Amino acid sequence: MLSPTFADPAAATMANLQESPRVEPMAEERSGSWFGFGFCGFGQEPGSGCRCQVLSPEPLQAVRDICRVSASWSYTALVTRGGRVELSGSASGAAGGCRDAWASEEILVLLRDGPGSQAELQAWAPGSALRGEPLWAQEPEAERAEPDAEARAEALPLLPGARAYVSPRPPFRRGLAPELRARRLELGAEHALLLDAAGQVFSWGGGRHGQLGHGTLEAELEPRLLEALQGLPMAQVAAGGWHSVCVSETGDLYIWGWNESGQLALPTRSLAEDKRTVTGEGLNQDGSQVERAAGTEDGAPAPFIAVQPFPALLDLPLSSDAVLASCGSRHTAVVTRTGELYTWGWGKYGQLGHGDSASLDRPCRVEYFVDKQLQVKTVTCGPWNTYVYAVNGNS
Amino acid sequence: MAEGTEGPGDALWEALMALLPSTKEDLMLDLGEKVDRGTALLLQQAVELFHGGRWADCLQASEAVLDYAWEKLNTGPWQDVNKAWRQVYAFGCLLKALCLCQPPREVTAVAAALRVCDMGLLMGAAILGDILIRVVAVLQAHLVSRKRPDCSPSQELPSLKKAKRDHVPAPDVRLERAVPRLHRPSLQHFRKHFLLPGRPVILAGVADHWPCMKKWSLDYIREVAGCRTVPVEVGSRYTDEDWSQTLMTVEEFVSKYITNEIPELKRDISIPDYCCLGSGEEEEITINAWFGPPGTVSPLHQDPQQNFLAQVIGRKYIRLYSPQDSEALYPHETHLLHNTSQVDVENPDLEKFPKFAEAPFLSCTLAPGEILFIPVKYWHYVRALDLSFSVSFWWS
Repeated sequence: MLSPTFADPAAATMANLQESPRVEPMAEERSGSWFGFGFCGFGQEPGSGCRCQVLSPEPLQAVRDICRVSASWSYTALVTRGGRVELSGSASGAAGGCRDAWASEEILVLLRDGPGSQAELQAWAPGSALRGEPLWAQEPEAERAEPDAEARAEALPLLPGARAYVSPRPPFRRGLAPELRARRLELGAEHALLLDAAGQVFSWGGGRHGQLGHGTLEAELEPRLLEALQGLPMAQVAAGGWHSVCVSETGDLYIWGWNESGQLALPTRSLAEDKRTVTGEGLNQDGSQVERAAGTEDGAPAPFIAVQPFPALLDLPLSSDAVLASCGSRHTAVVTRTGELYTWGWGKYGQLGHGDSASLDRPCRVEYFVDKQLQVKTVTCGPWNTYVYAVNGNS
Repeated sequence: MAEGTEGPGDALWEALMALLPSTKEDLMLDLGEKVDRGTALLLQQAVELFHGGRWADCLQASEAVLDYAWEKLNTGPWQDVNKAWRQVYAFGCLLKALCLCQPPREVTAVAAALRVCDMGLLMGAAILGDILIRVVAVLQAHLVSRKRPDCSPSQELPSLKKAKRDHVPAPDVRLERAVPRLHRPSLQHFRKHFLLPGRPVILAGVADHWPCMKKWSLDYIREVAGCRTVPVEVGSRYTDEDWSQTLMTVEEFVSKYITNEIPELKRDISIPDYCCLGSGEEEEITINAWFGPPGTVSPLHQDPQQNFLAQVIGRKYIRLYSPQDSEALYPHETHLLHNTSQVDVENPDLEKFPKFAEAPFLSCTLAPGEILFIPVKYWHYVRALDLSFSVSFWWS
């Protein structure tokens, strides 16, 4: 949810995501654009002041050449290929020489160009409009103990050198044991997920909604290995408010935590009571979606799941392979190998992109991209919205 | 279908507006630095929309405030949630409820606004001099006045019959060590012999003249509180796998779970004088009402505060174990349930929990008009023998 992703088509495949160097302006094989949908009550993209929410994907207009997006609740940070960061929403302003950005309500973290090939880490108050001085600044390179440190420059909130990460609440800089060999780190409302060099997943923090995945509701003070996933190398992790997702190197999706709005794609009581459970089984003759209460094959009602404290394998429709996942507070978005986007969970502000405000407890494809023959390459979720990078699909 | 007239002339709207602070600037919360900048901006915008008469936009902004505050309320343990977020939530409820009642309004608007206010009272914190309570009073009065006098309840009332008293077998407490019963002990005596040493006692003659002990009809409860939203625990005990907690109106709860006729009584209660022996303020005393069918069980557990349990309707069988004997009660090891015993008191698994057989306890059948003093951390197990209504006072 709070980790930016970058959109370089050459790097969109799994192998490249692990190896690619920092992004530089380069020629595109195919033209691509960014789209957004969901909450924009502060006027952030794609909203334009008068609208509170966007229910279907709309192209981002105001900023060109975006290569990465980091969205907080009330504002979005957009980083361009030219190294410029532009803020949209409750926070405004722009700055150059920027390689990476990480937006939260409390602080905006930027990785700026420093002298030579050094980079400088800066934390700004969102209300500062990037004028004056940052709240604090330091050279992360100074932390690096080994030259082959796993983390790349585009891995915020994980700091370059992978010895520490940035947090929106004090202490703003938190250390990580070097033996963890952190590759990626994601933060939820009260937990953290870490992906290491070997594809293992660690979690720590609050666990009252099962978001740590260790099978209990207990908190963990230190990073604890997810034993349930041992032997399954993961390629990517994503953290929502109170749920967690990871994608294996072979394209499988594992998900756990709180399911109160169906964000785990499991039957949830709240949606059944609203009669909004959509089976995704297909269309009726008149084109409407088949609807029935969640149930098992023999017609017995399926149990409602409020909390899933262990990772559960989630099959996407059509046996699609997942390549990338991102989570908002209470929704989940997944990109498949074939360039489709599936979303599910809380949909009140249109963050699922299906043209309405319904929440869903089953993965549903965002038809907009299929209809326009666009291949989705990347998705980044803000707490209540979703940003997508897609390219023309004709090949 | 709409009701109410636009502009002046709508009695409900005028009554609600009269509750608001006299100056526009006062309709605001003083939160300082405790909420983030985005939230402060959104609150400001919502209030401006309200004063500008842009009800639909204000409603939308209030919804966003509520949804965001809700997420904060669900982050971390409840006791650690910053009070400011609960105030924000209450404020969002206030604005939303007012916007819903703006004429012309839907027929269901007032009941919906009442549900919103109840959520603000349940999850929020006091704002603007407890304005939500006053708003609720206005909304309730409006709902009651709109009911036709000969209107019958939506559900057919069960025919008048005596409460079944032998529905659940009552333990013979004469065979067990009894909780002492005292008639109106002095404050000093209570303090010296029970409060300070932490010993349970039943106080008789204290609550038996409370107005609530008089006749009270099911009709009256439904009429006065039927539209109010309350938390309901569903399931025979909270340690069961299929136990859950949900919200519903009193009307929904009564029609679904209460089948017996109950004796009538009025609703006034008083805080027992003995609470003044504590160190806390009177406003900090938590008063809860417990209403449920016979057989309802509270598994053996302890609470972090002193408790006066006043029995109003029906009888409760209660067992008390001293905190000194906690080891023999096998508390759960998880943090979430560490104040709950694993043992089913009236059907203990003595192979799994051998020490429980020897654990000493006191017991009683608490009858209407009596108050049981449960010292802080004293383990207690409760089973309702009849349809039961109790009021608990948690104090320090």
